Amino acid sequence: MRLGFFLSEALGSMRRNWVMAMAAVITVFISTAILGAVLVTRDNLNQGATSLKNRVLIEVFIKDEATDAEKAALEQKIRSIPEIKSFEYISKDEALERFRKRFGERIVQNLPINPLPASYEIQVKDANQVDMVARKFFDDPAVDNDPGTHNGVKYARETVRKMLSTINLIGIGMWVATGVFALAAVLLISTTVRLSIFARRREVEIMRLVGATNWFIRWPFVLEGFITGLIGAVIAAGFVWLANWALANWLKSSDIDFLNVRIFSMCWQSGSWPAGLMPTLAVLGAVLGALGSMVALRRYLKT
Amino acid sequence: MIVFEDVTKVYDPDVVGLQNFTCHIGKGEFVFLVGASGSGKSTLIKLVLKEIVPDSGRILVAGRNLGTLRHSKVPLLRRNIGCVFQDFKLLPNKTVYDNVAYALEVVGEPRRSIRRKVPEILNLVGLTEKTNSYPHEISGGEQQRVSVARAFVNHPPLLLADEPTGNIDPETAVGIMQLLVRINRTGTTVVVATHDRDMVNRMRRRVLQLDAGRLVRDERRGGYDQVADVEAEGVLT
Ligand SMILES: Nc1ncnc2c1ncn2[C@@H]1O[C@H](COP(=O)(O)OP(=O)(O)O)[C@@H](O)[C@H]1O
Ligand SMILES: [Mg+2]
Repeated sequence: MRLGFFLSEALGSMRRNWVMAMAAVITVFISTAILGAVLVTRDNLNQGATSLKNRVLIEVFIKDEATDAEKAALEQKIRSIPEIKSFEYISKDEALERFRKRFGERIVQNLPINPLPASYEIQVKDANQVDMVARKFFDDPAVDNDPGTHNGVKYARETVRKMLSTINLIGIGMWVATGVFALAAVLLISTTVRLSIFARRREVEIMRLVGATNWFIRWPFVLEGFITGLIGAVIAAGFVWLANWALANWLKSSDIDFLNVRIFSMCWQSGSWPAGLMPTLAVLGAVLGALGSMVALRRYLKT
Repeated sequence: MIVFEDVTKVYDPDVVGLQNFTCHIGKGEFVFLVGASGSGKSTLIKLVLKEIVPDSGRILVAGRNLGTLRHSKVPLLRRNIGCVFQDFKLLPNKTVYDNVAYALEVVGEPRRSIRRKVPEILNLVGLTEKTNSYPHEISGGEQQRVSVARAFVNHPPLLLADEPTGNIDPETAVGIMQLLVRINRTGTTVVVATHDRDMVNRMRRRVLQLDAGRLVRDERRGGYDQVADVEAEGVLT
């Protein structure tokens, strides 16, 4: 393969048809930028979701008057539930210590007895199972329920459910968006390339008459598509990276307190950047460009 | 060099391109293909290049049967055939030099021999001063000479010209025809489709006359018309 010749053909043609080349670069830029934005958003939301899920705790309070046997049975029960990731026993003294740290010495000093119950803080493996796990402690004899209620087991039930369903929904939406924009990118690029090749179909015909093989004709076009795609995608990746960085910074410095927005900003504060997104976008753009050229050339290269 | 055996080509609706055409063109010959517009001259040339395929009959070029020639081998066939067309078919974005060099790039000629051969052939066709011009910057006659140079730079055994003088003035046309004669003298078989009556009459070469796709005349040293016009004999030969 005569890379030097093909490369100079490709660059020469890009210079001559620079309007078309610009159009192709912009097309790749727009579609990969959107694709990149979708991927970054999804990644940030996933990170946010994971960190939220990790914060979901079940607190099981223990009656002061529970017998040792009841307490042992409770711990045994916790150990036996496979959905539980970890748990921690907070004794009455530790509970008081935490309370003191939080609310100050003065209040604690005036207490005649320690009113705080001992408790277990339980983390589940999958936040979707919080409800199911919590239910198992509702009627345990060791749990400090007021009569007729289950208030001895505390967990952020409604909040968690809403949050999770929102995040799941956004996740699905993001997948759909990813698919739609990937498809749009392919269509846009192949249309742009087809237009530019249509303008040069006479050249292709002449090349064939002179005895050029299909690959000899194809290489400069493929290289052109490759370079175009690469440029567009690299600019797009840089653009998305900057936007991501700016957004994360802005969210960190602002203190908006509307519930949804706060959750959102909590998700984004890390400014998470999917590993390998930059090279992925670049390779994707280049491959899309090259493929677009080959697809568009197909009808002119039938022998 | 070229053998047509009972070749018929009918275009899509029901237009006859070539009908039961049979002829042999030997190595080193110089042949005129004459006939009114639409008589099938271009069809014949396209068949030789395997740009189109016949509906029936057999075509051999340099001993190769085009009917069994694989698609992937068509470029190889074309590298052994130089082509000159009425509309020159030069690459508009390439200089005269690069247009000629393209035919050599295609066959994988080393860079160094391209640098030697292109100026040589441009000198032969008298275009040394136009080496770095673009096709739109030179006259029709000059463009046709570039196209002849490109067709011959590989020294192919066969050169086809489809109305090479159709788009240029008569004086320049003589120059082009002289070039083709010189190329023929190097041993290259030359087939020229034309309806340039004067030219054919002057040159007294083999003439194949087509009418509505049929071969109606094959004369060794013929003129354009059935009864030879003797006046202008021998100007070029
Ligand atoms: N691609 C085509 N589709 C349909 N008819 C064609 C095509 N090419 C040529 N023809 C017809 O075939 C006949 C022969 O054409 P052609 O070989 O070009 O003649 P010439 O070159 O002698 O003028 C003409 O009637 C022409 O209209
Ligand atoms: Mg014709």
